Amino acid sequence: MTNQTISIAIFFVLGVGFWMIALAVSYLARPSKPTKFKETSYECGIEPSGSAWYQVHVRYYIYALLFVLFDVEVAFLYPWAVIFRRIDGGQMLLFSELAIFVLILVFGLVYAWRKGALEWE
Amino acid sequence: MVPFAWIILVSILLFALGAIALITRRNAVAALMGVELMLNAANLNFVAAWRYYYPDHLDAQVAVLLVITIAAAEAAVGLAIILNLYRRFGTVDLDQIRLMRG
Amino acid sequence: MTWADLPALYPMLIPAATAVLLLLTLTVRRDARLAAGVAMAGFIAGLLALAASAAELSHPVTMLLTVDRFAVVFWGILLFAGLLVSVFAVGYFRTLREPREEFYLLWLLAVVGAMVMAASAHFAAFFLGLELLSVSLYVLIAYPRMQSRAVEAGVKYLILAGASSAFVLFGMALTYAATGTLTFAELFTHLTLFPGDVLLLGGVVMILVGVGFKLALVPFHFWTPDVYEGAPLPVTAAVATVSKGAAFALLTRLLLGVIQAQPGHSTLAVIFTLLALASMIVGNLLALAQGNLKRLLAYSSIANMGYALTAFIAGGDAARVAIPYFFAGYIVAVLAAFGVMTQLSTPEHELQEVEDYRGLAWRYPWSAALLTVALLSLAGIPLTAGFLGKFFVLTAGMAAGRWTLVVTLVLTSGLGLYYYLRVITALYQAPLEGEQPTPPPLHLPHRLSVLTGLALAVLAALLLLLGVYPSPVLHLLAWP
Repeated sequence: MTNQTISIAIFFVLGVGFWMIALAVSYLARPSKPTKFKETSYECGIEPSGSAWYQVHVRYYIYALLFVLFDVEVAFLYPWAVIFRRIDGGQMLLFSELAIFVLILVFGLVYAWRKGALEWE
Repeated sequence: MVPFAWIILVSILLFALGAIALITRRNAVAALMGVELMLNAANLNFVAAWRYYYPDHLDAQVAVLLVITIAAAEAAVGLAIILNLYRRFGTVDLDQIRLMRG
Repeated sequence: MTWADLPALYPMLIPAATAVLLLLTLTVRRDARLAAGVAMAGFIAGLLALAASAAELSHPVTMLLTVDRFAVVFWGILLFAGLLVSVFAVGYFRTLREPREEFYLLWLLAVVGAMVMAASAHFAAFFLGLELLSVSLYVLIAYPRMQSRAVEAGVKYLILAGASSAFVLFGMALTYAATGTLTFAELFTHLTLFPGDVLLLGGVVMILVGVGFKLALVPFHFWTPDVYEGAPLPVTAAVATVSKGAAFALLTRLLLGVIQAQPGHSTLAVIFTLLALASMIVGNLLALAQGNLKRLLAYSSIANMGYALTAFIAGGDAARVAIPYFFAGYIVAVLAAFGVMTQLSTPEHELQEVEDYRGLAWRYPWSAALLTVALLSLAGIPLTAGFLGKFFVLTAGMAAGRWTLVVTLVLTSGLGLYYYLRVITALYQAPLEGEQPTPPPLHLPHRLSVLTGLALAVLAALLLLLGVYPSPVLHLLAWP
């Protein structure tokens, strides 16, 4: 067991223990007078309508797909950024390589836009 | 530290679980998730090999980065095709989709 | 990577840049003919750049790619197939209601992926190329999205190819754990030094599962007939040519040296021999009973990959000539066969059954003649490209003393002759009395565009040229 492992374990125990104690104390301390209105789920103060489990319209899947793609492609920027300052010379080549990469991504976005994938209706 | 063999074992287990999901689950989306699990098993293997044996080389790190992005692209394309499958067949159950023998 | 490395990569970079350009074109103007034109221009420019970059051969470009003679020849084959498939697609998709433009975009990317595979010298390049090819193919197979069969084929390919990619990747991870390297060259060193390393061998075998899947070697062939049948015809042609050519080029790059360096009956050689034998026997036997021409060609391609493996196992300089030559002949023949089928089909109504082609010679003598030559070439009849391809494969096999494989190849080829001839006879039979089986697409005015006619003529010429006059290609392969 290294020092780090121990501190993570302590953090974990504290983190779990805190809410357990808080909930337990409030459970013991609070009065229990349930009414029908109190037992409904809280939805910004207004009366809840419908089930919480409803299907999102399938037309939104394109947003999800586009988000996942662009989100993940950005992962390539991090190693590039780390290396960029460390390498002497060839900065122009390094820069242009990434510029091309980002440009292709931008073209993809323009394409998706023109295709109507970003329209809300 | 945990012995390397254990990590290999875990990654092989993960891979096997993915393969089992692929074979037994008849839902196309679940099968795709099995594939993703298999890819991640390979990633675990890469990272472990880097950490234990070759910490000076960044090959494995770059490989993992590539795999993550490729897996995302594959999932995006796969889900789009499966969505179209649902539109055509009204189901994503692979057992019910057999217009062709084989 | 420096600027000086770029010219060697032009044949690959130009189609890749064309894909981006096409993407931009589509944002401005949607026109199927324009899109097809841009894609074809990209392929042609790539072919021209190939002639230029052939000047600097044997050129490692970074640690990822090697542009040598072998790569240049395969690039030429792949670009040529890319060009022809896009020509066929123009006529085939003419009746498709949905957008047709993206087909060419994805097809460019698929060919670039195949080219990366054929030139790769590093696992990262291998995996990137493989996935670029596979992911594009998922969409291409399911492209006519109103056709249930195409979508079914797309999903089947998606799940199985995804699994095979995972196998490849896990194999790479195991070899990396065993050797600490991702380059093919160092893998070769390790494999020859420690042929008994379990982790390493396990990794290589898992990579083989993935490559075997792409090549549809028995026992990894189950997807082939269904995907061939369901995919739109130009894409079936693509799966049969570009995808397999790239996978085999990669296999050669990865393991030909190892097979050669190890003694005759190493573990890997035994595995490959079993795969080749099973593919030749099972492929040809299953093709015998097929009434569907697409499925028949699927089984025939399984058998053909078995033939190619024979040369691979034999190894040596003979194999380095036999493999590209065999593939050139195989790909030209397959393109010609699918090219003819494509011209008689639309996405909504494909001519698939052998029965549909009964009496074709009486209506379209030229198409029937080309289909005949293509099938004869696949069967390996003299004076066709397929014959010389098989001849070189046999020579390589005999030189290495792989007699089991050679004998099986000859015997199963004889078996193959039967089903190819069955199709050819059907072409020249009179149409059945009374029934008049003229399927709908044949009612359409059979307008063969100039471009398609030219493409088919080139294929016919190549089938015969490669069969009687091999020296230019052999010269390109530096033989002798």
